[in-house]
Amino acid sequence: MKPFEYISTKSINEATQVLSEYKQDARVLAGGTDVLIELRRPHAKIPKAILDISYIESLNGISESDGLIILKPLSTHTQILKSDLVRKYAQLLGIAASQIGAPQIRNRGTVGGNVMNAATCADTVPPLIALDAEITLRSNGGSRTMKLVDFFIKPYKTKAESDDVLIEITFPKLPSNAQSAFIKLGRRNALSISRLSVAAILMQDKKGLISEARIVPGAALPTWMRVKEAEEMLIGEKPSLKLFTAAGQKVSEVMISYTGRRWSTEYKEPVIGVLVRRALEGCVKD
Amino acid sequence: MSTQNQHKIIGKSECRVDAWGKVTGRAKFAEDYNVGHQLWGKVLRAKHPHAKILKIDTSKAEKVAGVEAVLTAKDIPGSKVFGIVVSNQAILAEDKVRYLGDGVALIAAKTEEIADEALSLIEVEYEPLLVVTDPEEAMNPETIKIHGDDNTFVHHKVRKGDVDKGFAEANFILEKKFKTQFVEHSYIEPEAVLAEPAEQGGVRVTGSVQNLFSTRRSTAAALNLPLNKVQIIQATLGGSFGGKDEAMTSMCIRAALLCLKTCKPVKMVNTREESMLESYKRHPYTLYYKWGVKNDGTITAMEIRIIADGGAYASMSPFVTWRSVVQATGPYYCDNVKTDIYAVYTNNNYTGAMRGFGSPQVNFAIESMMDILAEKVGKDPLEIRLQNGFERGAITATGQNLEHNVSLKEVLQKATAEINFQEKWKKYRSEPNTQKKRGIGLACSYRGVSLGAEGTDAVGTIISVQTDGSVIVSSGITDMGQGAQTQMSQIAAEVLGISMDRIQFLNTNTSRVPDSGPTVASRGTIMGGSAAKKAAEIVQATLLTTASEMTGLDVQSLELKDNYLIDIESGQRLASFNELAAECFKKGRPTYGFGWHKSPKTSWDEDHGQGEAYFTWVYGANIAEVEVDTETGKVDVLNFVSCHDVGKAINRGAVLGQIYGGVAMGLGYGLLEEFEIENGIPKQLNFDEYSLPTSMDVPKIKAIVVENEDALGPFGAKSIGEPANELAAPAIINAIYNATGKRIYELPANLERVLLGHKLVRPKERGSVLKEKDIQAAMHRAVYELLPDGTFYAEIPGLQGVYANAKSLEECREQLQEVLEKEVA
Ligand SMILES: Cc1cc2nc3c(=O)[nH]c(=O)nc-3n(C[C@H](O)[C@H](O)[C@H](O)COP(=O)(O)OP(=O)(O)OC[C@H]3O[C@@H](n4cnc5c(N)ncnc54)[C@H](O)[C@@H]3O)c2cc1C
Repeated sequence: MKPFEYISTKSINEATQVLSEYKQDARVLAGGTDVLIELRRPHAKIPKAILDISYIESLNGISESDGLIILKPLSTHTQILKSDLVRKYAQLLGIAASQIGAPQIRNRGTVGGNVMNAATCADTVPPLIALDAEITLRSNGGSRTMKLVDFFIKPYKTKAESDDVLIEITFPKLPSNAQSAFIKLGRRNALSISRLSVAAILMQDKKGLISEARIVPGAALPTWMRVKEAEEMLIGEKPSLKLFTAAGQKVSEVMISYTGRRWSTEYKEPVIGVLVRRALEGCVKD
Repeated sequence: MSTQNQHKIIGKSECRVDAWGKVTGRAKFAEDYNVGHQLWGKVLRAKHPHAKILKIDTSKAEKVAGVEAVLTAKDIPGSKVFGIVVSNQAILAEDKVRYLGDGVALIAAKTEEIADEALSLIEVEYEPLLVVTDPEEAMNPETIKIHGDDNTFVHHKVRKGDVDKGFAEANFILEKKFKTQFVEHSYIEPEAVLAEPAEQGGVRVTGSVQNLFSTRRSTAAALNLPLNKVQIIQATLGGSFGGKDEAMTSMCIRAALLCLKTCKPVKMVNTREESMLESYKRHPYTLYYKWGVKNDGTITAMEIRIIADGGAYASMSPFVTWRSVVQATGPYYCDNVKTDIYAVYTNNNYTGAMRGFGSPQVNFAIESMMDILAEKVGKDPLEIRLQNGFERGAITATGQNLEHNVSLKEVLQKATAEINFQEKWKKYRSEPNTQKKRGIGLACSYRGVSLGAEGTDAVGTIISVQTDGSVIVSSGITDMGQGAQTQMSQIAAEVLGISMDRIQFLNTNTSRVPDSGPTVASRGTIMGGSAAKKAAEIVQATLLTTASEMTGLDVQSLELKDNYLIDIESGQRLASFNELAAECFKKGRPTYGFGWHKSPKTSWDEDHGQGEAYFTWVYGANIAEVEVDTETGKVDVLNFVSCHDVGKAINRGAVLGQIYGGVAMGLGYGLLEEFEIENGIPKQLNFDEYSLPTSMDVPKIKAIVVENEDALGPFGAKSIGEPANELAAPAIINAIYNATGKRIYELPANLERVLLGHKLVRPKERGSVLKEKDIQAAMHRAVYELLPDGTFYAEIPGLQGVYANAKSLEECREQLQEVLEKEVA
């Protein structure tokens, strides 16, 4: 590997300062579970500098304020899965975090890295989009906030500039009438890349009718999005196997409308429907 | 006869002799060896899976500062090829490359970075040839040849009785086709060596080598050196599962070439990607099984045809397929057998030795057939096996009379009783269809121990008692994590009446121990152990004679026990082992024993496929209990029973370890692992994509150790390393059938195969000619990008949904075109 500069900082300002100087030639390092692997690939592009932000304390932690959960980017998957706030107000995110990699990866890997890396199989992204998360990016020029769903362009490509630091992820707490689920399908039971996944949130009114539905498939579409066509089918209805099966089929149709029929469609077409159905079933458990 | 109570060390879970070194980090694996002024050796590999080499220009690479040698095939002084059976494996490709892992040139440079840079400056001109990847296509006379004038390089057969007559007697015929996959050994340490110029000429190579003596022979031949000028030293070696054979031989030779050229030490270490690209794999087999069967479940005829993908080089294929041909009928009575097995060259990775060595493939077919048969005749899997299974005195397909204790039925009964097999099997098959379904499956096998009629089978072990009573043991058998050193030490300690802590085992060095053949075929304990026993007995005799003189007592009345010389009658300690050792030294007696063990005679008639193939056999039964997600195809193994007759467990902990590890590996074979090669290009080069089972995928395993001591093994011991691994997959596949009623004919039973019944394959057909133009036009607009994960991404601006993401640019382009064609259609 070619040598590079290693810069470590404890302040956000200093971090953005460094990035504004180096631009494309610097790479932010959080837990390093994506970056280090990239650097070791044959013919990898080695940056001039690695900027280690993992010592910036203000970028770590999970808190609440004004009905919002504030998830700082350096929060590790382990922190997320152990967080009471997440368990209470964003259960599906905790489930997703608990299924990432293996304990070592969860101890090092951060939610910020997962989002910024933007791999199609990033497991915290579907739950965060279902939670209607917003992110805040900071550079020397100031801060910008945007919906997470609008942040992604395509696999590994986001709207972040090379001098942006992700400083915050926020989302509204799920109300008490909401239930959520996350289902991941991989080839094995640990250290498994999502073959497909589904994040789902359902809210029911007092009569037990569905008042709000959010469905976000993972590793299925070119970028993440809520499948509105399927969500709308659910509104005002009573949960039932038939309804959830139909919603699953709808998601499957929508997926194909985006991806076209590929050689993997034969498998993904039925299975994404099943996972959606199961996720929705997971949202109406007592 | 049970001697169990008399043993002090045999049968105990003694601490492994290499445990402390490994857990404290003191053990030196091959990569840990470094010397101050070493150079780095690197290999330039092929650009095409099959191509003529027109020209190699190394001039630019030679000019790079820090480069000390650039070698091609023409610089090899001696033999340019090697191979244990068929000598045709190129050390460096000369006229053509035959698979992507072929080496074309070598560089030695001051640093790895310089070597890498220099590699990129070597210019090779190729003329691509047709790439052959389908072994059945390779057999076609019209197909381009990879070596010589025939791609089929092995044909073994077995003939017994008359299959036509057998089929005529049958009530019905069962005919099925099975397929197995390439599998990677997945040793933790990739190949690594350090080659140093030896003081008196020649070369000394320290490396993660499994079969030191064949490596030495090949290295000496390539360097034109006598064997005594080539020293191969085994570094501590972790589990290598049969994989550190030719892959290491080629690295040793290459490092030695660079070393002799530069007169400097040369270090070579493969990255994981290089290792997976170059190393050999488990053979994929295509198996055609045809059985004639009576309504009562008796088998009247078996006609079996198997094609093994040998890949680019012969490697161990002749031996691997020989074991398959001998064992292809399973441990079942059948008077009429006709088996043919072929190994053929393709442009895939070459295939060779891997734990199981030709048995996992045939066991998958045999044990699937047995369950298919049971289903047909309305019996359960246990009944059908008990009905057809061998007993003592059975005559095998090759005409061998099994005169030892044939414990097939014992292992079947013990395994099935442990988990209530029959009851569960009946219950699961009649349960209604639900999202998650349980199933249970059974498989059994018999396996010939050691090399058999495959080759010379002899081992030397040396025991040297020091003047202070400590002991040094060494052997031609290598330890690669399986615990061979511990087993041999236990045997020595038992005979000498000493505790294990007195023994120091030396890693194998070809210049210090006699050529003992390869450490393969689960022969470490039975062969190395027998030699250790003989060596220890020689020393024991000297010690007791000396003791007799020392004490004035008769030799018969003395024994060595618990580190003391004991008077048997009174139980009195007469001297310590140390004193006795010192006394021998004083008297000028050698306390050095060399034990040589040669296996009992075996025989083989290649023309008729008949003979006493192996001197003894082992028997095992496995049961898997699974849960199948019928909507996604995901299979979880919930419980596992593995029962093996090992003859005698020398170290109980080691036997259990082999069983647990063997099941885990068999589970990977059955459900997860597949090294995919498309058009000669491997698709998985690291463990992010090559899926091994994790500890979360391996269930609780109940190991049942059966001990029917065998007269031909040390203290009755036979073997367990490979038996433990060879029948987990069929047990799992049979369990999936029990759950779903659907049979898997191709391994592994991954998500797609279980759900859809077949693997997902990229379609070959292309869009209609009419739209060809539009497609080409659109393809012109495609934008490609190299993503950070090393894959390629392509899209066509303006066409939503038309994108592709693949490992290579070519693949990405193809995928894009395919999506586009579907879109247009
Ligand atoms: C063995 C293994 C298993 C894995 N399993 C899973 C899995 O199951 N599911 C899954 O989703 N992922 C998995 N991953 C991927 C990885 O662990 C996650 O994506 C993780 O969340 C990345 O976080 P990190 O802190 O390690 O990121 P890093 O590697 O430090 O960074 C990742 C990217 O984000 C950028 N970045 C990080 N933080 C910031 C920030 N605050 N501001 C701006 N840019 C930033 C970096 O520059 C880099 O481009 C696995 C990885 C490994 C090695």
